[in-house]
Amino acid sequence: MTQKLDLTDIQGNIIKAYGRYNFQKARYLFLRIDDGDKGRKFVGAITTKVTSAVPWGKQDAEGTSTVPQATTNIAFTFDGLQALEIPTASQKGFPEDFIMGMSKRKDILGDDGPSDPANWDKIWKEKVHVWISINGQSIDAVKKRYEWIQEQIEASKGGVVLLTGHRGDKGEDNLPYQDASVLYDATGMPTPKEHFGYTDGIGDPVFEGQTNLAARVLGRGKLMRDGTWQPLATGEFLLGHVDEAMEYPKTAPSPWLLAHNGTYMVYRKLHENVGTFNRFLDEQSGIFNGSKEMLAAKFAGRWRDNGAPIVHAPDDASKTEWDKRYAAADESGKRKMLTDFTYNEDIHGTKCPYSAHLRRINPRGSLEFGVKDAYDTPGALVNRRRILRRGLPYGEVKDATRDDGNHGIIFMALNADIQRQFEFVQQQWINYANDFKEGNDKEVLLGNHDANDPGKVVFSAEPGSGKPPHFVSNIPRLVETRGGDYFFIPSITALKMIAGGIVDPT
Amino acid sequence: MSNIAGKAYAMNVITPIRWYMAWINKLIFKIALSNPSTLKGLITLSLIHYARWVIIPRDNFPRLDPSQPKEELNYSYMLFFSNFNGSWDQYVDSFTFAIPSGLDLFWKWNVRYPKSVPLTPFHDYIRHNQIDTAHYYNAYPMAASNDVKSAQKIKKALINFNAISADKAPEEFFDDYNKLLNDLQHHFGDMKPTPIVSLSADAVRKRYLQIPE
Repeated sequence: MTQKLDLTDIQGNIIKAYGRYNFQKARYLFLRIDDGDKGRKFVGAITTKVTSAVPWGKQDAEGTSTVPQATTNIAFTFDGLQALEIPTASQKGFPEDFIMGMSKRKDILGDDGPSDPANWDKIWKEKVHVWISINGQSIDAVKKRYEWIQEQIEASKGGVVLLTGHRGDKGEDNLPYQDASVLYDATGMPTPKEHFGYTDGIGDPVFEGQTNLAARVLGRGKLMRDGTWQPLATGEFLLGHVDEAMEYPKTAPSPWLLAHNGTYMVYRKLHENVGTFNRFLDEQSGIFNGSKEMLAAKFAGRWRDNGAPIVHAPDDASKTEWDKRYAAADESGKRKMLTDFTYNEDIHGTKCPYSAHLRRINPRGSLEFGVKDAYDTPGALVNRRRILRRGLPYGEVKDATRDDGNHGIIFMALNADIQRQFEFVQQQWINYANDFKEGNDKEVLLGNHDANDPGKVVFSAEPGSGKPPHFVSNIPRLVETRGGDYFFIPSITALKMIAGGIVDPT
Repeated sequence: MSNIAGKAYAMNVITPIRWYMAWINKLIFKIALSNPSTLKGLITLSLIHYARWVIIPRDNFPRLDPSQPKEELNYSYMLFFSNFNGSWDQYVDSFTFAIPSGLDLFWKWNVRYPKSVPLTPFHDYIRHNQIDTAHYYNAYPMAASNDVKSAQKIKKALINFNAISADKAPEEFFDDYNKLLNDLQHHFGDMKPTPIVSLSADAVRKRYLQIPE
């Protein structure tokens, strides 16, 4: 099955992780629509600048780059679509999770204690209708686009309101936007890291219709019985396309044009408790048989410095060897080393623990637990649970011993079915582990660890070696939710229909 | 009424099967039981606590009492009874993609069975023929079957360890203890309350237990 996507119709943020195209800065805006008519006109104006998924050539005929200085994308909550007055018959086609929104799903997501919506940024107490993102090659490009959007808000004459209430670097709690940025190293060079020091965003899923599949699919598509990798079905990530269940996603509203080439986005502001993480890592590495970096790698499944998968570099000595091979490899060889692996050679989790972030969010074929041909396909339990991850870090760490600075990740997950994909992974695989035969042991980094009853994880030793496994106990809550919601990212056709007030499911 | 109790979801599905075809299903069950490899997918799916298929002949449908009149039935029926972790909506994908051919084999001769892929007709077929659970008691609401299996294994190993190693010298005891930990390393998962898999089921539970919102 080959699939050609209409890239002029799909919003660019679905296909492109802008960070990979030198868009180092981002700004996220949230708006409320107070008047349907004016709101639709505003959406129409923004749509003229919405960035599509059309590939950027390196240079055009005149030799200038066709990569824009700034991109713009737009998405809506269910309340937002209601405010824009799409017909009730269309509203009815949206799924329960999206209709409810994220804060009402807190019990499903485990957003409790410090992650409870009561502790979120003030903006989430507002009626959030619209999300607009600006990604820029420079902060000036972001600001310029932001000013243009402000003009459009102005022009709506009270029909659209920019909401305030984001926390910022200087202790503000009433900012009108959320800024995000790549992190820079000591020499000022951009890095793919987040505030705990991990290299992020390596293994995003690859699906039918994307380009350059052969080079990208290794370790990122779906694992087949013969050990090869195939791209996932388009419908796992885009509505109106066939999914892994050989049908069109059930989460699509009608009419078809409203849903087609659109998808759902989970926006989450995740605060990182940097001080606690550093203390915990130091304290635990004191009782761990290996370096501090090796322990950090055991938490994530990748080494912090370069993202080396721990399944191929399970200890300090093998990491040194891996680094040498990596340094000698060409670009495609490097990419392969980062993504092309399974856990079949590590079915007991001796190298990459079952609790490691990477293994929990994408178990590859490992949920067959080494039972030969247990399922019809090795990815049977995995292929319907994948998410595209977008987003950037926000804030900066001014004091690495403290938690209360402004630092974390703006996490955005894109999928065709929030409940089946994002919520399932968050609930069953991050905050619980029956599928991994680890009971209630939560994933170390993202789990909603309970300060009153902290959990633990077990790092397996070689079975039959007589050596004890390693226990990591008293795990604190390292990441806290600070806000977020569920959004629908329409296609550009659908945006024009919404803006024109011509959505009609009849 | 809820199909959920603790970590278990109860599923009772009763589907009609032409009486003259029922023997084929009985044969399939027999072959599956005598040839465990046909069930390895089902067994490896550790989210399943329990699963059982039974054929009820059309002239032998259970009655509460001999005085209850016999029903005139056109079909025999296949009863599927299972307990599993999570909820049907959550895990239908896992069942369908892990063991589609197994499901198709067991239901193939049932009236109007649609096949397990595509998923929606299969999901609807099961839901349509499902008998919701009016009363559901779970003695160990925090336990999934993996937890029970692990607990049994740990108990047995500890009793054994105590018998063999309790009186050994410290160094030997220590070696034995480490070996014990190694043997049990995949059975130490914490056992705590279930994540909330359904907001409506959780609301029912809270009202029943009179837990304030």
